[in-house]
Amino acid sequence: MEDYGSSDEDIYSSDQDSLDGLENDESDSQWGSSTGNSCKVITRESLLVAQREDLWRVTDLLSLREHHARTLLIHYRWDVERLLAVLVEKGKNCLFAEAGVPVLEEVDVDSYVSSSTVTCDICIEEVAGSEVTKMDCGHCFCNDCWTEHFIVKIKEGQSKRIRCMAHKCFAICDEAVIRQLVSKRHPDLAEKFDRFLLESYIEDNKMVKWCPSIPHCGNAIRVERDEFCEVECSCGLQFCFSCLSEAHSPCSCWMWELWTKKCQDESETVNWITVHTKPCPKCHKPVEKNGGCNLVSCICGQAFCWLCGGATGRDHTWSSISGHSCGRYKEDQEKKSERAKRDLYRYMHYHNRYKAHTDSFKQESRLRETIKEKVANLESKDSRLRDFSWVTNGLYRLFRSRRALSFSYPFAFYIFGDDLFKDEMTNAEKEIKQHLFEVQQQQLEANVEKLSKAFEEPFDDYEETHIMEMRMQVLNLSVVTDTLCKKMYECIETDLLGALQFSSHNIAPYQSKGIERATELNGGRSAKANNIIPCQKAHDQTNGGSIEFVQPSGCGTSDEIGCSSRKRTRKDSGGGFFDLNLPAELIDRN
Amino acid sequence: MVDLARVQKELHECNRDFQVSGINVSLKGDSLTHLIGTIPGPTGTPYEGGTFNIDITLTDGYPFEPPKMKFATKVWHPNISSQSGAICLDILKDQWSPALTLKTALLSIQALLSAPEPDDPQDAVVAQQYLRDHQTFVGTARYWTETFAKTSTLAADEKVHKLVEMGFPEAQVRSTLAATGWDENMALEKLLSS
Repeated sequence: MEDYGSSDEDIYSSDQDSLDGLENDESDSQWGSSTGNSCKVITRESLLVAQREDLWRVTDLLSLREHHARTLLIHYRWDVERLLAVLVEKGKNCLFAEAGVPVLEEVDVDSYVSSSTVTCDICIEEVAGSEVTKMDCGHCFCNDCWTEHFIVKIKEGQSKRIRCMAHKCFAICDEAVIRQLVSKRHPDLAEKFDRFLLESYIEDNKMVKWCPSIPHCGNAIRVERDEFCEVECSCGLQFCFSCLSEAHSPCSCWMWELWTKKCQDESETVNWITVHTKPCPKCHKPVEKNGGCNLVSCICGQAFCWLCGGATGRDHTWSSISGHSCGRYKEDQEKKSERAKRDLYRYMHYHNRYKAHTDSFKQESRLRETIKEKVANLESKDSRLRDFSWVTNGLYRLFRSRRALSFSYPFAFYIFGDDLFKDEMTNAEKEIKQHLFEVQQQQLEANVEKLSKAFEEPFDDYEETHIMEMRMQVLNLSVVTDTLCKKMYECIETDLLGALQFSSHNIAPYQSKGIERATELNGGRSAKANNIIPCQKAHDQTNGGSIEFVQPSGCGTSDEIGCSSRKRTRKDSGGGFFDLNLPAELIDRN
Repeated sequence: MVDLARVQKELHECNRDFQVSGINVSLKGDSLTHLIGTIPGPTGTPYEGGTFNIDITLTDGYPFEPPKMKFATKVWHPNISSQSGAICLDILKDQWSPALTLKTALLSIQALLSAPEPDDPQDAVVAQQYLRDHQTFVGTARYWTETFAKTSTLAADEKVHKLVEMGFPEAQVRSTLAATGWDENMALEKLLSS
């Protein structure tokens, strides 16, 4: 491509200053707590702090108690904007009713206690007035029955939405009452209940997800704006935030899922899962049908059709089952066998290339050590060359480009295949686009190989002038591959994925600096948080100037503290921390 | 554990106003966790005149978990499986509330007999017939009621005759048989204990 050629020349002819500028830009310090980062690590310790912000917004705005705010947020999946939209659109009463928050606040509780005995409608026993509890919705039953109800619901995994026992009452029970009653009989269940509530912020929130590390590091990651991104957890694992598998851009999650399935040998488990379960269209957990009709509802509340797996409302109609195209036979048997053969060859073409690049990527990872040695050798020499950051930066550039290149093959397999995007492009269009894409891909491939070859050279034995030449070469190749990656992504995002009409595929955008590292979460609303820092802590801060992570007082064992301080290093703890064991209301009052 | 005290109270309560509701719950064996419910087919429906037995199993969590109910009598209805008798009714699943009782659940099933919901079918074949060929549906449902939900007069007479011969008055024999879902042995036990 002409366009590319000219920019290539520009780079080669550019003077050293501009290259140095680039070099600095790429220096290792980029991983520090840069302000642009939007991904946050949420640890066990900061989970409560992470949700405080949202809870506060709601409690302040609607002057609610914390548990009601939590009920609202759980119902609206921690999407404060949506909650506010409903508030504006339908009003407070409707907002509350939909989430199961009773509109009547604080009815006179004492009226019940005054009468000596009450008949509980559940066990049909006479119970002393002191042994009954009246919920916010006004329904009153005996404590034993409430407790039993709560235990059954917690065990069913419904902790986040335990409804009142009365028929057709949709009010959600007060979490404080549940905690108090259950802990009397089953302290461990009460603990479990608390954990479920806390973790709802992760489980039900599309902007927060558990880190998929195995064994689990205990962290979750929160993104601010775009859920289509790739991120690195503080435990070191890099993954695609959207689908939680390994980072796979420029493949879309859907393509990647299909690709891995295709590549994987089908194990017994996979067989069983495909035969007996369907993924929920909302939370994607495999759902097994254990009886009843074809309107299945997942534990997350989403209803879907068992026949086609598509999401449905509760008002599933007879005709919408019979009208499903899933029952129709699509393929022509004769064409099929012919196609199968061609498909296999096509798949092998793309798979071989994908595999070759992934293998190179693995081998190059081992290069890291040898390169370190080479740099050490160079540094030990008495030479006027001091700065070897170009070596490591070039190596990182190689890794990133290699990765993009290898995943561009499964992408191409699907985008130009006959299955997914059959109706999106005419054959002529496809041919042109494929040609354009392949030109980009090949240019990238050629430069990645050149870069890779450069690192194989025994440059630690070279003369100074030779090393300077090499430096220029690596720097140039780094810039070129970066530009080519950008261009390939541009082509993918605008010409290919952007032109899709019938389906939408989102990919994590190209990051010149590689996968974003999530930073530790800052301590909530600074103004309020500052007020509640215990005096001693504030004192420590003024003395120390710069200190390591401050552990919230009275929380966690010494073990945990050690672990956290290793993980976190923060110079500015102005955000402050507060006691996680204190209820929000208390903290608020302070 | 099943709240046995509550089940006993429910049984007592339900059988007390049997004359009004026509709904009866009795023990299947000697355990309180296996019960048989009987509901009369609602008037003005193809189920009129039939007596439908419902097999009830109480799980350990009852009343905090819903009772397991299915038709023991074969019935032609869009929301009831013509094969297994499984019932598609929300209050027997996620809409169950501990404040409901066996009697209210059986009343809901009776209401379901009067008002089928073909949009949420359990038995696709029946539902399709209900929507497309209502005439045939009514005919089949009535035929099934006649065949399966009515104790054949011959067999019934035989049972009545047997018990009358033992020395019980015929009116009492008939009402007791009806209350026990035409179970001869259970009726005899009741007659003896009364």
